Order: sequence, then structure tokens, then C-alpha cells
Amino acid sequence: MSQLYLRRVVALWFGAVFALVGVPLWYKLTTIYRAPLPGTYISSLRENMHSDVHLVVPVYVRSDTYKFPDVHEAIQLQADALLQSKPRAVNWSLQILQAEKNQVLDPESDYVLTLTLDDFTGYSIAYDSKETIVFFDDTAVVSNDIPFFAAQTLIEHTFGTEWTHLSLDSSDQNDQGNRGLGKSSEMAISYAPKVHLSLSLLTGDGRPVAWNIESTLNQYFTPLRQFLSPLINFTVDTSILHFNDLNLGSLHDIQDPSWQDLAHSIDLSELSSLNHYREKNAINLAIVFPSPEAGQLGFVNATEDRPWQSFMVPQWGALVVNKEALPDNSRLTQDYLAPVIYSFACELFQFLGLSNEKADLSTPYITIDSFKRVTTLKNLEHGIETMWSLIKLTDQFPQMAVPKQVLSDVEQAISLRLKAVELLNDPKRGDEATWNEALHLSNSFVEVCERAFFHKEMVQQNFFPQEHKIAVYLPFLGPIFVIILTGLLKTLRENNDDDEDEVEEKQVKISDSPADETEQLDEKTHDSSLTKE
Amino acid sequence: MRLVSFLSLFLAFFTLQFATADPSHTNNWAVLVCTSRFWFNYRHMANVLSMYRTVKRLGIPDSQIILMLSDDVACNSRNLFPGSVFNNQDRALDLYGESVEVDYKGYEVTVENFIRLLTDRWGEEQPKSKRLLTDENSNIFIYMTGHGGADFLKFQDAEEIASQDIADAFAQMHEKKRYNEIFFMIDTCQANTMYSKFYSPNVLAVGSSKLDESSYSHHSDVEVGVAVIDRFTYYTLDFMENIAKNSSLSLQDLFDSYTFEKVHSHVGVRTDLYKRDPSEVLVTDFFGSVKHIVKDTHNQENDFRAFYGSTDGQDNYAEHIVNLAIDKSKNSPSESPKVASVGKANLMKSEKSVVTFDKSKGNNMWTAAVPFSLLIAAFALAMGTKGQKNV
Repeated sequence: MSQLYLRRVVALWFGAVFALVGVPLWYKLTTIYRAPLPGTYISSLRENMHSDVHLVVPVYVRSDTYKFPDVHEAIQLQADALLQSKPRAVNWSLQILQAEKNQVLDPESDYVLTLTLDDFTGYSIAYDSKETIVFFDDTAVVSNDIPFFAAQTLIEHTFGTEWTHLSLDSSDQNDQGNRGLGKSSEMAISYAPKVHLSLSLLTGDGRPVAWNIESTLNQYFTPLRQFLSPLINFTVDTSILHFNDLNLGSLHDIQDPSWQDLAHSIDLSELSSLNHYREKNAINLAIVFPSPEAGQLGFVNATEDRPWQSFMVPQWGALVVNKEALPDNSRLTQDYLAPVIYSFACELFQFLGLSNEKADLSTPYITIDSFKRVTTLKNLEHGIETMWSLIKLTDQFPQMAVPKQVLSDVEQAISLRLKAVELLNDPKRGDEATWNEALHLSNSFVEVCERAFFHKEMVQQNFFPQEHKIAVYLPFLGPIFVIILTGLLKTLRENNDDDEDEVEEKQVKISDSPADETEQLDEKTHDSSLTKE
Repeated sequence: MRLVSFLSLFLAFFTLQFATADPSHTNNWAVLVCTSRFWFNYRHMANVLSMYRTVKRLGIPDSQIILMLSDDVACNSRNLFPGSVFNNQDRALDLYGESVEVDYKGYEVTVENFIRLLTDRWGEEQPKSKRLLTDENSNIFIYMTGHGGADFLKFQDAEEIASQDIADAFAQMHEKKRYNEIFFMIDTCQANTMYSKFYSPNVLAVGSSKLDESSYSHHSDVEVGVAVIDRFTYYTLDFMENIAKNSSLSLQDLFDSYTFEKVHSHVGVRTDLYKRDPSEVLVTDFFGSVKHIVKDTHNQENDFRAFYGSTDGQDNYAEHIVNLAIDKSKNSPSESPKVASVGKANLMKSEKSVVTFDKSKGNNMWTAAVPFSLLIAAFALAMGTKGQKNV
């Protein structure tokens, strides 16, 4: 009796450990951790893109000649009316403020609108500051035209970039899928806060050549780098490559090559070594001299001052192709290199998406500032799209792990976005530092979103068919499960069999015991009497 | 009859749609994967190295080629030609001869690494050269070879990738806009099953053999002692050798070149996910890297004027972004002379930069605006206060 009990207890313990410890442990160890991402919030952000953004740019009005005490209010009304006339992808408006007495305005930091009396009406946007001057004559004052002129100038010209980029075209309205802020040109690289610049001097032969690139860059390019630093930080490297004229020698017979001729002949593969740099994007500038053997390059449209012609490769960089080969032991001086840098600077603005094909950069200060705002908004859009993709993929692949780090990144991203939006919406802040900070926050936002999306642990073989699961688990769990189950069943079944065995055992016991002999005899008699009956 | 004409019109319409699809891409990438190990699989290494040579010849730089070689037959002790790999018994071309940059070698070629590569999910330590840094303007050519079966491809004799895995990886790439178009080519037994599960758009796929069909090797080299190339890859390369950067041959020409007599299996092409008609897609759209090189049309005379102006002094000062930057760097912001008090405008007025209003336009708009100005004012104020509340 005690043995059976013991066996049963042991079997039950095995079963209990298997069921209560083993199964939960197995479940715990094989369950994929999926952090709860705020999917509803992100999808509502995406559906109502920029709905919580109302970009407000303060503009200070000052008047040189006349005092207009309420002109800012009138301009505000006109500006608002003009903005309302066109549907916008993002809410934005101007906050027209009257410059207070003795208030020092810095046109390099704040937007300043100056009203100047002249003998004609017109406007001028400063090249080196954020000042807009509206000229008016006495007739305009009499007919009360100034507020309208000022509003029109501000919105269509000073804030022309916003006016174009943040408005919805009629074609966009019909296309529900195209809700973005507009695609940049073919030439422009995608925006990144850090860009690498690779400058190379290539010669078709191995003759020694040198260039004063460092002093030229220090004098002409470093100021530009610093000027653009709030928007984009550049890292620069320079190199000289011998025996590489990008295969231009093969073109020396052709007078007017088409882009296909150039594209099929020029071999940029050796220069496209993007992966040596940490930065995501790189822009190249290659100054190429043919080898003397290849001879003059007929297609290069060179002038007396300019012995080279510049070509542009979309999202790659610029090629400065020289007509003549370099003489022996040449050194390229600043006189040669500086104009190249001047020309490249204009191209650089195209590669960065700051100017169009004609390199129209008449108002760099304002263009760069507007670019910051548009980029901030594009970044916000881009980050939300990334988070939305993350949510979609985690829903689509239930086998994919979602680590805690991803959740914390998403939370951080959301808070960064709110900070950036708060900054953009603040009507009292609108100096250069504000836009820089907003851009910086939006860059961090994009970075955190990308980090969340590309988390290292969110990869595995997503597809794991049922038969594979059986193939993996059966050899391991099969034997243990079968032994425990059958063992348990056996001990439970032993119940009836053991009772019979026990009776038999008892009988055998009795027959073997001399002490119970009489009793045994009595029973036998009783049995025989029964048999007799 | 009507039905026929309707159908032909319908077809013509769709052909037109395909022809006008945007083929723009600015960079090309290639992912070349050999998944099998061991000396007797020499031909798989040769397949991949031949493809590597072809895409490099057509201009894809090494930084944009991801080469995964699961074994190093060039240095195998059984190789009678150490350091060389040949894809033909004439041994005319040493595929290992020039600089070959192998990104993933030996036991690094795993299913996990392949999926990581496609989805770009790596730790901080992963170097850029071993990552597929594509964007929405990238065309990607993916070539895989090894031993496979229905819906799987073996990696290293140890694990396998399912067709669904690749399909899901492509879906993730599409979701994150990591490609413009993908051309997927696979040479393995039952290869066509490997692209059967794809569901992401803009993917064109070709496989060497259909379900329950083997892919075969082309020929053996007596001295190497094993087969040196597979049939499907051999005839692909046969076609590719006629392609130069300026070739106008299309992918349809490539597909038409495969016949059962040559390949000894049924080559399959999947085009339903692909927007364009393969007969309008250049082979170099995937196998090469053709850059759109244009002449710079901006006014370079102005650059020269600006440069000489800056050296001559302020008399000939020309407006140029470099000059502006130099000026700004000379005046640190705190000492800027541009800081002016109200009422004392610091003008930089040049005749060129002044724009005169078009009076007629302005007046018209103004007269139209006057009667509504009060209404608009009230509306704008209401909107303004509403907007502020929302904020």
C-alpha cells in the first residue's frame, strides 16, 4: 500500500513539475517579446499629418519716413487673407509685429520689413540679411495700398519657398496618396545633417602633380562651410589620383557628346567609394586632366579664363573636366582652384536642394532660413512615416520581436516631435536660433525613428512553418512528455490491478504462515463444504 | 469581333501605361550570393564570381556590390590552380584574378546575415561596406545560387531560407522605401518556387527551373575535376558578354535567349509585380550603373566676376555665396554692423535687386480685395484665435 502511494506521489510530482514548471518555463522562454507600441497614436499622427502644427513666423515692421501706427495690423489681415486663398498642406502664418521704440532689430536673425518712401512702388530683398524693403510712393499711401503690397511681398517673395512647398497644388488635392511636401529635384541628395565632401584631382598619367587645395579651401570654402553649418555639417577629404581620367580619353574625338555618350564613357566607379566615410551622404568634386597621350578634349567648352567645363551628376557631384593635359611637374595654384570652388559652391546649393537648375540664389539668407523650416517639416513627416512603417510591420509579422529599446526609442521620438512642434508653433519665437533648434530637434527625431525601425534584434526568420515546429519540438519534448504521461497513467491504472494482486498476495501470505494454520484449515473446510454443496 | 477589338484596345492602353512608367533611378546595387560550401560546389562560386565580374565591368562600383561567398575554392587545397577560379574549361578568364572584394565569406554567409543585409538591421559595429545602403532611387540586382528545393534554398548545408522569408524581407524593404526596383535572379533546383511568394511591388524575378525540376551544370573541367558553371548562369553570361554600357538590349531579350535546349530546364519569369514591360527595360538598368551626366548650365561668368571682385577689392564686388560667407566669417555675429536700431535702416540697395510691382495686377487684386477686407479681417481674427486655442 505504501509503495503504491509513493509511486503515485512520485508520478504526480513529475507530472506537476512538467505541467506547472516545465510548460510555463517553455512558454516563457519561447515567447517572442513584443513591446506594446503606441500604434493608435502613430496612425492618427499619420492620418492627420501636421494637424497639430501651425508654423508662425514673426516679422517686424518698421517705417523710415512716415509713422503708421496700425500698419502691422493691416498687413496681418492682408497676409492672412492671402494665405487663406490657397489650400495648405501645413498650417502656417506670419505674425506681423510693430517694432517697439528703442528695440534693436537684427535683420540677420529676425525678419524685418522696412517701409521706405520712394518715387515708385516695389520691393527689394536683401542679399545678406533677412530684411525685406517695400518702396512706396505717396499715391500708394493715399489709396491705402501699402498693406497689400507688403503682404504680397512677404508671402509671395520673402516666404516664397514656404508659399510653394507648404501649399497643396490642385493636382495634389485629387491624389490622396500624395500628401507629402513635394519631392526635391533629381539633382539633390536626400537631406542629412552631416554630409561628406570628397575632392579629387585626377590625371590621366603618372606625372607628379600638386595642388594648393588646403589654402584654397581655408580661404574660400571654410567660410561657406561655417555659413551652412546650422543646416549641414561638412566633412572634407582631398586626394590625388594618378592614371585615372575617368575614361575621358575615349571621348576626345567627339565634338558634342550627348549625355548618353558621357554617361556610357565616364567611369565613376573608382570615385564612388562612399563607404569609407561615416556620413550617410557624400558629394564629390572631381577635377580631371586628360593624359597628354589622349590629347585635347574637343568637347570641352573652355574659354580663355576658364580652361575647364563643369558637368553635374545627379546625387553624386560635379566633374570639372579640363580641355588640356597638365604640363610636367605642375602645381595648381589658388588662381586656378578658387574659381572652381566658386563654381562648385553654386552647384553645391543644387546638390543640397537649396536652389534650382538655374542656380537662382538671389536671396541666400532667406532661402536657407526657409529651407530650414521646410526641412524641419519634411523631417517630421519622414519620421512619422518611419514609425508608421514600424507599426505596420510589427502587425504584419507576429513572429517578429519588438524589444523594449524600440518602445523607448518610439517614446523618445514622440516627445522630440512634440518639442519641435511646440517650437514651430510659438508665435513669440522666430529668430534664427529657433529655426536651428527646431531643425536640430527634427533631425534627432528622424535619427531616433530610424534607430527604432532598424533595431538589430527585430530580425529573424519570420516564416517558420508548422512542420518545422513539429520537427524541432518532437524529438525534444516527445520522449519526456510520453514517459511522464504513460508513467502517470500507469500508476493510476495500477489501482484495480493492485487490489487483485493484494488479495492474491494475501492468500499466498496466509498459506505460508504457520501461525494461521488453524484459520487456514477452517477456511479450507468451509471451502470444501461449499464445494460439496 | 467587338470583344477582340475591345481587348486589343484594353491591351494597348495597358502597354501605354507601362511605357510611360517612371524608370528613374540614380544608383545601382548588386547582391550576389553563393550559398553552398565544399569543393564539389565549385561551380556555384564560379557562377557568382562571373556575375560579379559582369556587374563590375558595366560600372557598378565595389562599394555597391555585396558579394557573399560561402567557401573559398580559390584557396582550396584541391585546386590545381591556386588562387584562381575559372568558369570555363578553356580557363581564359581568371575570375579571382583582379581585385575581388568579398563582403561575406565562409560561415558569415547565413540566412540571418542575408535577411539582415536586405532589411539593414545591424548593430553599430557593422561597417558600411558590408551594408546595403540603398534608398528609394536604387535599382537592386539580386543573384542567388546554391542547392534548393520547393520553396527553400540551402545555406551552407546547415540551414535554409524559405521563399516566404525573402518575400517578407522585400516587403520590409518596400515599406522603408529601400528600393526603386528589384531584379531577382536565382539559379538552383526548383528555382521558380523561390519567387512564387513575393508580394511587394516593382520586383521582377527570373528563375532557372520550375517546381520538381532540377537545374543542371554546364560542363566540367578535367583538370579542375568538377563542374565549373551552371547552365542557366552560363547562358546568362553568354548574353551579358555582348552587353556594353551603351547597349540598348532589354531584359526581354535576355529572357528570350533562354531556351529549353540550352538550359535543360524551364526558365520562369515573374512580371506581375513589375510595373514596366521587360521589353522596355534596359539590361544596364540593373547590371550596370549609368549615371545621368549633364552640363552645368549656371552662369559661371558670374563666379569668375565674383572671384576677381573679391581679390580686387570692394569696387568690383559681385554677389556670390562664397563672398557672402567670407564677409560673414569676417564679422562675427556679436560685432555685426548690421545690428541697427529701429528707424535707421541699413539698406543694401542695388538697382538690380529692386523689383517694381506690376501695378495693374496689384491694383486689380487690391480693388477686389477691398470690399472683402472687413469680412476677411473678421474671419482671419476668428481663425487666428481658433488656431491659437488649438495650439
